[in-house]
Amino acid sequence: MAGLRISPIPKKDKVRLVVNGREVVACRGESVLAALIASGYVKLRIAPGSGEGRGAFCGMGVCYDCLVTINGRPNERACMAQVEDGMEIAIDE
Amino acid sequence: MLPHTADTVIIGGGVIGASIAYYLSKKKVRAVLLEQGELVSGTSSACGGLIFLQSKKTGAHLALALESKKRFAGLNEELGAEIEYRNEGGLIIVEKEEELQSIDCHIAREKKLGLEVSFLDRQEARELEPCLSENFVAAVHCPLDGQVNPIYLSLAFLEAAKRSGVKVFPLTRVTDIGLGEGRVESVITCRGKIATPIIINAAGVNAPDVGKMVKTKIPIIPRRGQVVVTETGPQLLKRGLISAKYLEVKQAAGLGEAQEAGTSAEQTMSGNFLLGATREFVGFDKRTTWKAMKTIVYRATQLIPGLKDLHIIRTFAGLRPYTPDGLPILGKVTGIDGLIIAAGHEGDGICLAPITGELIADLVTEGRTDFELGDFALDRFEEKRDGRLED
Amino acid sequence: MSKLAYEVAIVGSGLAGIAAACKLAEYGVKVVVMDENIHIGGQFLRRCPTTRKASFTDVMDLMRKKGFKLITLAKEKNVAIMNRTKVLAISDQNELLVEDNEKKISTIRPQIILLATGARERFLPFKGWTLPGVFSTGAIQSLVKSFGVLPSREIFVGGSGPFLFTVAWELLQQRGRVMSIIEQKHLMDSLPPSGLLFFNASRFLQSACQIARIVFARVPVRYATKIVEARGRYRLEQVVTSKVDRLGRAVPGTEKIYSSEALAVGHGFTPNIELAQVAGCEIESDTTKGGWVVRVDQTLETSVENVFAAGEITGIGGAPKSLNEGNIAALSILRRLGKEVEKSVFSRHQKKRERLLCFARYFNSLHMSSDEIIKAIPDETLICRCENVTIKEINMAIQQGHNTLGALRKALRIGMGNCQGRICTPIVRDLIHIHAKATKEEDNEILPASTRIPVKPLAIKSLLD
Repeated sequence: MAGLRISPIPKKDKVRLVVNGREVVACRGESVLAALIASGYVKLRIAPGSGEGRGAFCGMGVCYDCLVTINGRPNERACMAQVEDGMEIAIDE
Repeated sequence: MLPHTADTVIIGGGVIGASIAYYLSKKKVRAVLLEQGELVSGTSSACGGLIFLQSKKTGAHLALALESKKRFAGLNEELGAEIEYRNEGGLIIVEKEEELQSIDCHIAREKKLGLEVSFLDRQEARELEPCLSENFVAAVHCPLDGQVNPIYLSLAFLEAAKRSGVKVFPLTRVTDIGLGEGRVESVITCRGKIATPIIINAAGVNAPDVGKMVKTKIPIIPRRGQVVVTETGPQLLKRGLISAKYLEVKQAAGLGEAQEAGTSAEQTMSGNFLLGATREFVGFDKRTTWKAMKTIVYRATQLIPGLKDLHIIRTFAGLRPYTPDGLPILGKVTGIDGLIIAAGHEGDGICLAPITGELIADLVTEGRTDFELGDFALDRFEEKRDGRLED
Repeated sequence: MSKLAYEVAIVGSGLAGIAAACKLAEYGVKVVVMDENIHIGGQFLRRCPTTRKASFTDVMDLMRKKGFKLITLAKEKNVAIMNRTKVLAISDQNELLVEDNEKKISTIRPQIILLATGARERFLPFKGWTLPGVFSTGAIQSLVKSFGVLPSREIFVGGSGPFLFTVAWELLQQRGRVMSIIEQKHLMDSLPPSGLLFFNASRFLQSACQIARIVFARVPVRYATKIVEARGRYRLEQVVTSKVDRLGRAVPGTEKIYSSEALAVGHGFTPNIELAQVAGCEIESDTTKGGWVVRVDQTLETSVENVFAAGEITGIGGAPKSLNEGNIAALSILRRLGKEVEKSVFSRHQKKRERLLCFARYFNSLHMSSDEIIKAIPDETLICRCENVTIKEINMAIQQGHNTLGALRKALRIGMGNCQGRICTPIVRDLIHIHAKATKEEDNEILPASTRIPVKPLAIKSLLD
């Protein structure tokens, strides 16, 4: 899904992430959540209790619905984490 | 509205008061339960859910626990509520060689009393609980140990008691007890007075305050136990576990400060881990401390490395009602007819709640119990067997 | 463990925090500002470095301009800034435990603490509000303003309060398409009293500009309409709305279904009081201030000595109030540190604060959901997103006597999940209040549930490193 970025990522700011083994291009300095959404990843996890799919909701570190695994650290908030080149992200699919 | 009279008044809305209320209701006693705060808002809502037999003092304490344990199996159905009871067994983890000897003695004594326990080497223990690390030397397994949700247990007792006619009043503080000719006559509360021939002091850490109203010294002191709660994690730990150090501190008499109180760990039905523990004498301070959180987590991850992938979401602290000899105080109060005490269970309140409720209910209706309560009498603490304060 | 000698530690880098930091730094006070977010500036001062464009309405926005100036100033004045830093605890010696951007844990022991932890959004839950694709208005704002990312090319906006229009306007500014704005209040109930217009002219002018932009873009604005349901298999596909009567009850036969991949919802704000609770500060309950707020005196000191509070946590009031209180708190702290502060400056800010508090009451009233609209939430609607507790379960438990937040937590595990009740508590509080009114016990104050350390979840890995 292209076109969710308001302006293209400047060349010098391009970083590469790996989401569930697939390469994703992100913009230096942005949140992991922004990178995921810009690449079309909206559903991020399966809620343990209900088995429902969940994605980011509050977007400001409060609700803990955007939990993903970042570089092997499980249950990190995508909205509060900042992208880094080579970062590995795992989400529930 | 508070009733004017009652057959029995229970002071305390924790697991002990709730259990007594339930067993009294089964005997059709017109009981009233009074709680100064919210129901189940004190120690019973701030503890783990381990039902451990192998941690009890060998003797009457263990015998009492064995009786209590028998009652748990049918409680879910009996109370008509989910209490998350499981009987998967429990482990004592021996972390150091030098702890082996005292553990050996402990097991021998337990076996003598008929408790089924078996000694496991590290490999055997790790077969039972694959999440365990290599940082220990041996373990003791008892298949009778189990777990329960302490809050659900307390609430279920209360709801069942209410259904059978017990009147329950939260936010009702007892301010005085009316005496007449050496026996109790009434309870005076912030909301009015109830005339009653029998009063049960099940006020846990606040039991001494109730004792003061009738000039009786009750040697219960609050002992803070801090617990760390993790987010829900994958099913790692099937059984509850405590370390040998935990057992040693638990059973040691005396008022030593024990920030280093050994490890306890359990995974609840919802998947959260409850990690303990501390045993601190800090008065009624229920705050949790950074230092304790760190120590608890450090020790727990030594045994269960898989915890490192989880987040701590909360801590809490409960005030355990400590008694000088580690045994609860159960039975009639000598010299004051109609006054019964059931308090001071320290960390064993959840495990001992069913039997405590049943025995105290027997005491109320029959005046006696089948189980010998002599070892738990209040006057064991008085040299002259005279429970009165001098003032 | 670093123990740098900061005289003042400020938690939160929104307008209140950053304004206080600048003022303190002007007087040579050593200040550190901590914020959990990637960018400092809080929710109000979000700006994407790659997509910023000044427009007519942006220039109108004096408050934002002031804010950005303050951030620049703070940097010039050598205010220490720690972004992506969580404050996990405040001890009784006013020592802060923090986890920094490298997940390292350290302690900071300043002489004085200023809490400026801001607010979070509150929500009126509806069926399907947990579907991926349903976002808070704040989430959308942060995605668009801070990172230049749209959640979808077309966005549906709904809920209550002026923030809906602000977010819609921002989406339009960034070339997003706003499908519709759904406001549950009736238009007549949203209009400001004329007295307020006079003193807050610039604010209303700014709103008017935003609305003009929205009308110009031909975005349908529907008052007296609420979101009934979000539908979709794996993510949001449809939004169902319904007209509501003056009390907020759905009008039968007015349901409409829209296709949408992104929905922004918000129903006002509530203060982030948790860190203040852990610090031991007294909390008071005031619905005209947005719920539970930190109790402060005239100088903005809390009930704990040397702990001050400013901005949304003393009562929701928007950017001007935060800026004003940041200044007042700084002046009070300067006095406490023994610096000379002109009395007249102090009283000028104080006077202004009183005016702003009047405005705040009106502002908060725009967000209040009527009892009827809360009662109309269907039984199966999830309230606690973490522990999956429905409104029916909560209402039943309240009726059985579990009529406090503490009791509901025990009976239903509500608020025991990762968010520790931050999302569901405002609505649960309303449910308790509605029940109390029905049983004539509404004089009993509803207390927040206790908060213990860590204030936010903490990775065990961080603790052990």
